[in-house]
Amino acid sequence: MISGRGILAVAGFQWRRLLAPQRLLLAAAGAAFPAAVVLAARRISGSLDRDAAVLLLYALIPEAICMLGLLVTMCPVVADELERGTWQHVVVRPGGRWSLLAGTFLAAVSWTALVGLFSLLLSLAAAGLPASGRLGWIFAALILLSCCGRAALFALPAVIMPKRALVASVVAAIVVEYLAGFLPAVVNQLTVSLRLRSLLVEWMGWRRQLPPELQLLVDDQSAGIQVLAVFSLAITLLTAAGLILSWRQFPPSEEV
Amino acid sequence: MIEADRLVKHFRSGDGGIVRAVDDISFTVTSGEMVGLLGANGVGKTTTMRMLATLLKPTSGTARIAGHDIIREPLAVRRHLGYLSATTGVPDRLTPREVLVSYGRLHGLDEPTINTRVTELLAALGLETCATRPCGRLSTGQRQRVSLGRALVHDPPALVLDEPTSGLDVRGARDLLEHLERLRGDGRAVLISTHRLHEIERRCDRFLIIDAGRLVATGTRDELAGPTGSLEDAFFAAIDGGPPP
Repeated sequence: MISGRGILAVAGFQWRRLLAPQRLLLAAAGAAFPAAVVLAARRISGSLDRDAAVLLLYALIPEAICMLGLLVTMCPVVADELERGTWQHVVVRPGGRWSLLAGTFLAAVSWTALVGLFSLLLSLAAAGLPASGRLGWIFAALILLSCCGRAALFALPAVIMPKRALVASVVAAIVVEYLAGFLPAVVNQLTVSLRLRSLLVEWMGWRRQLPPELQLLVDDQSAGIQVLAVFSLAITLLTAAGLILSWRQFPPSEEV
Repeated sequence: MIEADRLVKHFRSGDGGIVRAVDDISFTVTSGEMVGLLGANGVGKTTTMRMLATLLKPTSGTARIAGHDIIREPLAVRRHLGYLSATTGVPDRLTPREVLVSYGRLHGLDEPTINTRVTELLAALGLETCATRPCGRLSTGQRQRVSLGRALVHDPPALVLDEPTSGLDVRGARDLLEHLERLRGDGRAVLISTHRLHEIERRCDRFLIIDAGRLVATGTRDELAGPTGSLEDAFFAAIDGGPPP
């Protein structure tokens, strides 16, 4: 039994934790980092053309900032509850484990996406690009998709090995997203990074200009299929994490 | 009613061996009865309680809470059980009212029921004056009462309370235990574990003494204490075979 009210209740807990002053400061510093890089690049090169700025922003926001934000918010989904002694109080409720996972996912995605969007506004201003145009919408969509897909990816190590979730998630990010994701093989179809890159190329109208060797790094299906693939991947990974979490038991000695 | 039926729980130890945390324990706590679960650290009290609360799956055996089997009907068990542990685990940034409302939602209660229930609980637990203060600024006793409120928010007929007075001062412990007696008086089945025998020896209807995962003695205070009249002596006699030196 999983209820929307239970999920929202957990998301509310998690949001209250994220609104701590230290977390807000960390988020503000993270959000300002891409803008600082863009300013530095403009200063060093004298000027930054639009395509170069877009590539830089893509690497910094949907990839780096979203990934880092989710490592901080999604990875501790079980470990934090065990450490704070709240695990048993949440999971002793009907549907508590699923609510914990889905509520934390919701909080992690919404929090990280907001940080990403704030970072985008700062960075577009730093790059001298308009935030209200098509470019703003493209990046907003990429940020949201990145958050959904990567939060679900990090949910798996978080429930399988809660106490080493951060390390396991970093390894998953490197191996799955940045090694498998760049392999010109079927395995890259299962990564979020391929979908995001393909969407960027599609929406920016870069496909025809891409040299043949770079064509191998993007998927040629439509934008709708790419979006559907990210959501399908997220649902599959979250379901797998939920099933594992339903089965996990933690002896009293594993709690602090 | 709480019924444990030949509960067994084994854990795998770090060296690959098997730890028999709970070994064939059976007991019953009827409605309107408060039963004390006594034992030293690490003898299986918490593991037993966590199996009853569906947090751990038994290796064998089973238990029923309000007639629902913990293995076959875990969701029904969770709807009928209030569980409290020594670690209050109350979020520091939420107020008592917010904690109780959130857990009511987690239970799937509707908003009017939650509001009525939370108002009743805050009054019953003496938390009205601090209902809007963040839990991080409450005393240990107040936090434990919030935790008890959280266990009661869905009005369960059975309560499993793992060291509820841990960390409380004498007054805090007495207030909490008096509240538990009222809950027993309402017809709830209450199973309580503690290290502080003196706190519960006059309050519980019966006692279960466990050692090394096994139930070694059971009975009322008078039955266990025998001619010496001391529950503490009876406790040591049960786990060591005689009073302490």
